Amino acid sequence: MPIRLPLSVMLAAPLLIATGEPIPRITSDSQEYCTELVGRLARLPGAGGEPARSLGADGMRLCEEGQPRAGVAKLRRAIRAAQAPP
Amino acid sequence: MTPPPIPQEDLPNPWDPLLRFLRSAGFRFALLFAVVFSSAAAGFAFVLWFATAGSLDRQTDAALRTDALGLMERWREGGPGAVSDAIAERLAADVENHAIYLLLDPRGVRVAGNLDRWPAAAGQGPDGPWSFAFVAREGISVEARLYTMNLGEYRLIAGRDIEEKQRLRDTLAEGIAWSSAAASIFALVGAAVLRRALANRLRPATRTAEAIAAGDLSRRVPSSGLEDEFDRLGESMNAMLDRIDRLMEGVRGVSDSIAHDLRTPIARARAKLEEALADTAEPGALRAAIEQAIADLDHITRVFGALLRIAEAEAGARRAAFASFDLAPVLADVAEFYGVVAESRGQALVTELPDRIDLVGDRDLLAQAVGNLIDNALKFTPPGGRVLLSARSLPREGIEIAVADSGPGLPIEDRARAGERFFRADASRGTPGSGLGLSLVRAVAHLHGGDLVLGDAEPGRLPPGLRATLRLGIA
Repeated sequence: MPIRLPLSVMLAAPLLIATGEPIPRITSDSQEYCTELVGRLARLPGAGGEPARSLGADGMRLCEEGQPRAGVAKLRRAIRAAQAPP
Repeated sequence: MTPPPIPQEDLPNPWDPLLRFLRSAGFRFALLFAVVFSSAAAGFAFVLWFATAGSLDRQTDAALRTDALGLMERWREGGPGAVSDAIAERLAADVENHAIYLLLDPRGVRVAGNLDRWPAAAGQGPDGPWSFAFVAREGISVEARLYTMNLGEYRLIAGRDIEEKQRLRDTLAEGIAWSSAAASIFALVGAAVLRRALANRLRPATRTAEAIAAGDLSRRVPSSGLEDEFDRLGESMNAMLDRIDRLMEGVRGVSDSIAHDLRTPIARARAKLEEALADTAEPGALRAAIEQAIADLDHITRVFGALLRIAEAEAGARRAAFASFDLAPVLADVAEFYGVVAESRGQALVTELPDRIDLVGDRDLLAQAVGNLIDNALKFTPPGGRVLLSARSLPREGIEIAVADSGPGLPIEDRARAGERFFRADASRGTPGSGLGLSLVRAVAHLHGGDLVLGDAEPGRLPPGLRATLRLGIA
């Protein structure tokens, strides 16, 4: 059974932030990643079929509306749908 | 006038009631209940936690390990490029948005993944490649589980955002905390109820004991009708009180009997001595009076001696003198001694004794007890009558020594009282004796783990005769 994050680390976390040590940032909830996923979807042979196409369109729209996380989620579902065997 | 100062040790301690409460059995039982109940609740919470939160952690680690092994395989197949492609594919298909990857080249430059820098805590923890770290997702710090490994000179992190699982864990922890609080309240309430129930069930016994201590010896513990341990305790107390009552009655009876039975020989000796003193002219009469007085005093001494022996036997004081011996020759000696007495009265003393009776006991007391039984039998058997002394050793019941006579027997209503000190049946008032013989026999029987049983020697015959059976414990 894994050991949970020790209390000392939890207490130290804000301290690290406070001392200027930046915590790593997840980059896959961004507009750039949306663009990367749109390109990947377009390269897939099943991208034109449903529901991949509509999911991709929804994802792109959400990304353009400034909701990259929701957009990325839609695009990922579109990619998974496009990868699925017919 | 000022009152004298109270000594310090006589002052009541203000903590006494609390200390008494803490030392009470009720409190201790209640505490035990609370501890057992709380332990059970803690055990339940532990199992629940292990089966839920622990299971989530184990699932996360298993998924990460599988993920890392897959990437390692890709590394072996195609190097850094293959791993980069695999990471991009996995991130693209991560609908749950939990996956975290980072692949750094030997210079520390990011090659693939969705983490902008290497977390300081990654691979630094006590679990080797496993660690927890905080990462920022859309500006919010979330907790992540990371697995770190080296692929040649490249470094790889495979991780999962466990924030949702953490929220589930927090919800579960909150639930367990509330449950623990509820369990603690139940434990305390249960303990209080248990203590109260215990006190209520013990109250009748306590009140009875208090009433008896205050002098009301007639009080007994009432039964609740539940026939539980407390009722059995009450019954035991009542049996004990009845026994004490009987003993006190016996002591009172013995005192009365001593006063009554010894007053006569003392008064007679005194009268004889006074008479002799007044009539000093006749030396013969004086001598006879003195001899009679000595005989009376000897009788009193014998009575006291018998009383002392009975008391010793009843108290078990002579158990230290117990030894292993053969009872058969002892009985034969006693029969021989009384055989002479029987012959002189025209009676027959017959014996039916086995060759050997092994026994652990007090030889002298047993000889005297059997002698008392034969003496009694001879006393009440008419001339020409027959007294039978028999003994047998039974494997289960122990040893039986029986003395049967052809005398008038003893009425059933007198048999229960025959072992009491100074008791004499109406029919025996005319015969000499102190009423202590059977008391000693019974005391000796009890000392040897047995009893004295009286019955008809020959039921149906007139007179039936008396059969006194001395039963002794197994040797």
